[in-house]
Amino acid sequence: MGWILVFLAALSEFAGVIGLKKFSEKKTWVNGLLYYGGFGTAFFFLYNSFKYLQVSTAYAVWIGIGTAGAVLINMLFFGESKSTGRVVSLILIVIGVVGLKALS
Amino acid sequence: MNKAWLYVALTSFFELVWIFGFNTATHWWHWIFIIGFIFVDFHYLTKACESLPTGTVYAIFAGIGTVGTSLMDVMFFGEHISIGKIFFIFLLVIGVAGLKIADGQDEKKALEGVKNDGLDSSILGSSK
Repeated sequence: MGWILVFLAALSEFAGVIGLKKFSEKKTWVNGLLYYGGFGTAFFFLYNSFKYLQVSTAYAVWIGIGTAGAVLINMLFFGESKSTGRVVSLILIVIGVVGLKALS
Repeated sequence: MNKAWLYVALTSFFELVWIFGFNTATHWWHWIFIIGFIFVDFHYLTKACESLPTGTVYAIFAGIGTVGTSLMDVMFFGEHISIGKIFFIFLLVIGVAGLKIADGQDEKKALEGVKNDGLDSSILGSSK
């Protein structure tokens, strides 16, 4: 159950990131709802997963999937740069975030 | 471009403010301020994404939030700092700096591309 909630939290975060991208381009109600609603729902699912899982573990997995997913979505669907320097830097950030969250 | 990075700094700062509030709130009215700071935080996050790639902004936002909360735990809430934590903080700092440099280079390339395709190409070509 705990991992299903973390998975749902990550999916909601993807929606939030797509909303962030779209809202920054065009301020419409639908984009704003996707953005705030997505992140709001993500926190709701994550918070509930803490009942079943250790906070640091759930947080580390969620933020790792979410950050990597946010970057991939923007590269694949919104044409952001796939340069080596960028990809390497992003991998370092994801490893750093997951590692640090897992330890705290 | 510099203004966009100022927005990245502001969104990261306000993120840490509301997370600190989250950890220390004791009265109901504290939550009014926390929610207010969350909205200010998301406002600057949106502004940053208007001129920088969303993937970059989001990764830095998550990275600084993580480093900030770990440091906060050590400084204000008496957690221990370990070699492992220092190692991952170090990786994150390199990643954030690398991303700023990489995006700067992409932007430069894009600008040069525009220049070469545009009117300047004949002038640049003749001077070479």
